[in-house]
Amino acid sequence: MKNQLKRIVCLLLCLVMATSALMLSGCKKKNGEVLNLYTWAGMFPDEVIREFEKETGITVNYVNFDSDETMLQKLQAAGGGEYDLIIADDYIIEVAIAEGLVQKLDKSKIPSLGNVNPIYQGQFFDPTDEYTVPYGAGVQTIVYNPAKVDIEINGYEDLWNYDLEDRLGIIDNYRVMMGMSLKTFGFSYNTTDAEELMEAGAHLMELAPMIRLIKNDNLQDDLLSGEIDAAIMYTSQVTMAKMADPSLEVVFPEEGIGFGIMAMFVPSEAPNSEAAHKFIEFILQPERSAKCFEYLGYYCTNSAAEQYISEEYRSFLTLPAELKREDMEMIQNVDSVTDESHLKYWTAFKNFCD
Amino acid sequence: MSKKRKISSSLGLLPMYLFTLVFVLGPLIFMIALSFFEQDGWSYRAVFTLDNYKNALTGTYLEILFSSLRLAVISTAAVIILGYPFGLCTAFLPKRMQKFIMTTQMIPYWVNSLLRLYGWIIIFRANGLLDKLLMWLGITEEPLRLLYTYPAVVVGMIYVLIPFMFASVYQVAERLDTSLIEAARDLGASPIRAFLSVTLPLTLPGLKTGIIHTFIPSMGLFFIADILGGNKIVLTGSLINDLLNKAHDQPQAAALASVMMVLTAAICILLLRRAKYER
Repeated sequence: MKNQLKRIVCLLLCLVMATSALMLSGCKKKNGEVLNLYTWAGMFPDEVIREFEKETGITVNYVNFDSDETMLQKLQAAGGGEYDLIIADDYIIEVAIAEGLVQKLDKSKIPSLGNVNPIYQGQFFDPTDEYTVPYGAGVQTIVYNPAKVDIEINGYEDLWNYDLEDRLGIIDNYRVMMGMSLKTFGFSYNTTDAEELMEAGAHLMELAPMIRLIKNDNLQDDLLSGEIDAAIMYTSQVTMAKMADPSLEVVFPEEGIGFGIMAMFVPSEAPNSEAAHKFIEFILQPERSAKCFEYLGYYCTNSAAEQYISEEYRSFLTLPAELKREDMEMIQNVDSVTDESHLKYWTAFKNFCD
Repeated sequence: MSKKRKISSSLGLLPMYLFTLVFVLGPLIFMIALSFFEQDGWSYRAVFTLDNYKNALTGTYLEILFSSLRLAVISTAAVIILGYPFGLCTAFLPKRMQKFIMTTQMIPYWVNSLLRLYGWIIIFRANGLLDKLLMWLGITEEPLRLLYTYPAVVVGMIYVLIPFMFASVYQVAERLDTSLIEAARDLGASPIRAFLSVTLPLTLPGLKTGIIHTFIPSMGLFFIADILGGNKIVLTGSLINDLLNKAHDQPQAAALASVMMVLTAAICILLLRRAKYER
């Protein structure tokens, strides 16, 4: 009898816990206007967010995701609602637009749209610039320590050199690394030609003896600590490495570069699209934008902001003037057969590295 | 009364059965079904195909399976060599010492295993603790390249897995009747003979549980190979991760996971069945 009583009490307590959790989650700040901003952590300096809140009286509810895929899943589940403004990567935006989860921008509310650097506009994910505004771009570049590397590095092909044996670090991204191998032959990142892929895969295998490290996060630390002497890195990592050690050499590969664009978009059922437009306009202001990009460490997508970027950052936050659009190619979504063979060559390569 | 009790207690277990059915068996069946489906963009199509298994058991993916097995075998062997004597000897120590050793085994578990692995980076990295020690002792003259190598991964695996071996061997050894060993010695058996014919057979169940507890997780601990091996040792676990998160190929990932499940289950059954005969 006593036991039964205990059991009932237990069950009741469980019920209380469950219902209170539900009620709490239903509770939200109702007073005042809110902008639900959904993006990675650390995309804006705190002071910029606070300035926006002060100027407009809109509270920013900053929600983080850790990967584009998570974002898409959440957005799909919410049916294009819940969030007012999202910043994510190009390839996932293409998917989101195709699924009808993005609304067209009301350009009359964004008079500063002309500040955006046209080199980043009209790209595959939004060819007519109806849905998105770029916010930061990444370019994978070669970085090396000239004190330790004796060979001259001008492009990708120079990395296939036994002087770099067991000294090279690369990012763990098979489209970027297979893309590098494709570029050494002058092929496109987005080729679907099986022969070209095979050639690139075989060539990548020959790079295996040089590889010491394959990782995505904080690769710059290993370059700075001397664990590796040369690396292919993401822009944010290059920025951090250069800030810590200005003597490092950054190379724009002569074979051409691949770049990725992050862009802002308003979901189709955004509860407060008005606030989202206000925020875009606010961020596009040149001086403020410069502040954001210095904080973010990605390439500045705002032409008007470039002049406000301080000297020490300018060399790695703005593109070299001689770089033409033809030298740049974006990595796009490819069909599943091609993607599968990318992954296979990459896996075989990784396994061959040790 | 007793019958009533039985019914009420099995009713009390009902939520657990339901939980198991829904959250353990359900996903398992879904995964197996998924492994026979076709990939369709970022999703899948319910069309029967054996291609995923054909892929999993040929070429690159098969090689990866073998390299996973290789690392698992090496790590398990090392854990046996180090963990078995450790567990056995601890059981023969005075009770107070036993408690002390058990505590030292438990305390690191208060810290996340990922964080503890980062500790190994501090030890292994160029000019790290180990390098400094070796150079101070005059054994080496310049920094070694220890981090991001195969041995570094094996050390990490041993570190994470050894408590499982220790615990299972210790539990059995603690209940060991020492008078049996004394009897063997009294009857003229050498220490080695006494160990082989008395101690080892009696602690074998513990050793086997230990092997199961180390071998199976070691097939899946890919984050150790990532962190300490610089991602150069590809394990089936990390391949499944890549397939799911980067290639969006859920059916292929499910097929690889199923193959791994069958493999580990077979090893388990093999070990457990032998144990039954011995009894």
